[in-house]
Amino acid sequence: MDHRPQAWGRPRDDVYGAYDASFMNPNGPNQATQSPIVTGTSVVAIKFSEGVVIAADNLASYGSLARFTDVKRLRTFADSTVIGFGGDVSDMQYLDRHLTSLAIDESYSAPSLDSDAGGPPKARLNAANLHKYLAKLLYARRSKFDPLWNHLLVAGLDDDDKPFLAAADLLGTTFSAPSLATGFGSMLAQPIMRRFAPDEEAAARLTREQAVDVVKQCMKVLFYRDARSLDSYSIAVVTKDGVDLKENEKLENQSWAFAERIRGYGTQTA
Amino acid sequence: MDSLVSRYSRPAYEENEVAFRDEEQQDLELMGAAPPLSLKFAMPPIAQPSSWLRAATDDRSNPDCPIKIAHGTTTLAFRFQGGIIVATDSRATAGNWIASQTVKKVIEINSVLLGTMAGGAADCQYWLAWLGMQCRLHELRHKRRISVAAASKILANLVYNYKGMGLSMGTMCAGVTKEEGPALYYVDSDGTRLAGNLFCVGSGQTFAYGVLDAEYRYDLSDEEAVELGRRSILAATHRDAYSGGFINLYHVKEAGWVKLGFEDTNPIFWKTKLEKGEFTNVTADLN
Amino acid sequence: MAAMFSQNPVMNGPNYSFSDAPRTANGEFREHRFNPYSDNGGSTLAIAGADFTIVAGDTRSTSGYSINSRYTPKVFKIGGTTSSQDDATILLSVVGFAADGEALRDRLDAICKIYRYRHGKPMSVTACAKRLSTILYQKRFFPYYVHAILGGLDEEGKGAVFSYDPVGSYEREQCRAGGAAASLITPFLDNQVNFKNQYVPGSGTGHDLKEREVVPLVRRDAEILVKDAFDGAVERHIEVGDGLQMMTITKDGIEEVLLPLKRD
Repeated sequence: MDHRPQAWGRPRDDVYGAYDASFMNPNGPNQATQSPIVTGTSVVAIKFSEGVVIAADNLASYGSLARFTDVKRLRTFADSTVIGFGGDVSDMQYLDRHLTSLAIDESYSAPSLDSDAGGPPKARLNAANLHKYLAKLLYARRSKFDPLWNHLLVAGLDDDDKPFLAAADLLGTTFSAPSLATGFGSMLAQPIMRRFAPDEEAAARLTREQAVDVVKQCMKVLFYRDARSLDSYSIAVVTKDGVDLKENEKLENQSWAFAERIRGYGTQTA
Repeated sequence: MDSLVSRYSRPAYEENEVAFRDEEQQDLELMGAAPPLSLKFAMPPIAQPSSWLRAATDDRSNPDCPIKIAHGTTTLAFRFQGGIIVATDSRATAGNWIASQTVKKVIEINSVLLGTMAGGAADCQYWLAWLGMQCRLHELRHKRRISVAAASKILANLVYNYKGMGLSMGTMCAGVTKEEGPALYYVDSDGTRLAGNLFCVGSGQTFAYGVLDAEYRYDLSDEEAVELGRRSILAATHRDAYSGGFINLYHVKEAGWVKLGFEDTNPIFWKTKLEKGEFTNVTADLN
Repeated sequence: MAAMFSQNPVMNGPNYSFSDAPRTANGEFREHRFNPYSDNGGSTLAIAGADFTIVAGDTRSTSGYSINSRYTPKVFKIGGTTSSQDDATILLSVVGFAADGEALRDRLDAICKIYRYRHGKPMSVTACAKRLSTILYQKRFFPYYVHAILGGLDEEGKGAVFSYDPVGSYEREQCRAGGAAASLITPFLDNQVNFKNQYVPGSGTGHDLKEREVVPLVRRDAEILVKDAFDGAVERHIEVGDGLQMMTITKDGIEEVLLPLKRD
């Protein structure tokens, strides 16, 4: 402990070593425990009246290289929830295996068909529960300084069968909103989605078709401007009736006319 | 056999995240058997925890560090013929921000023992509360009050165990027992423990020493001693930016301590200046 | 001699450039480069009255310059019998790193619930305040990056606010602002709640001025004060806005209101 008045009570350099600011650097892309290697870019999702639409493209990048062009980054859980993964693909696959064994356990312990008043058995782990579970898992791993380098969106229904959409990131931070996007999407897609769903009430008035259109529009905008994105993508609609997942969609009606008007890059002079 | 079955029938996802389950287990322990003031601390799972902690919390080396721990103080205590005077300011700072002007920096350990708080506010509060617990246990075990020497040594030994891990505290244990009479010890987070007649601790210590050393005599009357304690803290609040707020005064007498007041510095300053003609460096003209 | 074999992978192992490996300022190898903290912005505020306590927080969650969500509560009911927290008597607000805040909230809530189950009565706010302090201090060497404020009614029914630093030092206060806009709100509170720098009109000039006597606020005035404080903070801090969640504890229970704040 330093006893000089101007630094009283603070650690002494000769005891603790010189102050090392690098511990507190922000998490830039090159400062990882195991820095993310093969990565997926944005996931976008928006709520509508009866459910949630969620989408992510099918690309896994290796740095700036578009390395794997057929990697599905949406995965369903218990036919009632969809999880979209941004960030490290190997950590995504680890979580995928983890969730698979969790789902098997869940389906064994779920109430059987005949005990209920008909209908398919309801999973105990709905989207809200699953989101809490994953957030706690991510937080536990960050507390071990061994984070799972992902940013997840969880889409499905909550305890009251209302649309549920929430995010969890590598630090265990969670938040929920009528529309969410990870990575680049939080800057490019979120403003578009917020135009259609500025608040919960507005989201509850959206139809399924409108929501799907908005998400497709977002995927297109992301493809125009996110250099780590792809025109082949997966999109899922989650409602009470289950999950409608399409994994090999292509962006339609692309128009690159705007590219003509871009100035300030490349060789053009005017 | 049952354990064997349960070992292999546990779902795979539970095997994946052992630490995840450990944490829950820890929580249960926290709520159950472990006493609330325990010595079990969560550590960052890395090779240099203290460097890491310093990077996160040392607001002097890095004013932008994310976690700013409350700091900064002037505290003093001195022995004289009438017992011990303990006086402190009441300011807590986090970086340049004044986090509070009303901190109680004299911690009442029991009816005859006081601790003062300088350095990390949480370190002092927690460990002096813990010390209070140890003192009470000593009473229950030995059917008599703990001596100030023993109490301060328990604290000094404890903080020595944590040396180099980033604790920051400079405390004075002042108390009175039949065997020792009024006794005063200085204990800090380096593990130093000193008996003495007069200590000033904290960022404003030099200013307080300046006044205290000049006027201190062992045969001070009670009134003179209280006034000297107050005046010394006042001098420190005037010159040390990290000290201020209120002047907290205690007097340890033969029967135990009495609280003398928690007084705003500002009116005391003006009273001292206008009535006694001190602080002539400051103009009295408000225009 | 060594130089001769320096290009031989069998002798020297693969030629990694170990000089690039991260080291600390002391020159030791550092095995990680992970910052486990982030700041999710926002601000909180609590005021204690004679027979009520208000705990409020904005509902914006941010990461850097991005708004994550416009509705992420920072004020939580603690220690109810069930997860609905209908019969809770204590409020906790946390601001700083949201994941740490939620972990802290869950921990305190679980402890209060177990206390209620074992003792058949809710924990007093003073006991809960002490417990929260020790929970924070358990993480002294790996702190929760949060500024916590606890609110409730004490044993005499008076409003009580306890504020904490990240490692658990705490103090009972009349009012406290925390988080990003604490430095904007606190001076306003000093003036309007504790009447700092307010003097009785006509009591003289210069040194003769008499300080205005401090009296506890009435509830309506305190609620208006909270809204004004946040409107001011929203105007001047980018991380504050969207909604104001305000919870008031009285002897009749906890009331919650959600007021709009500017969303820009």
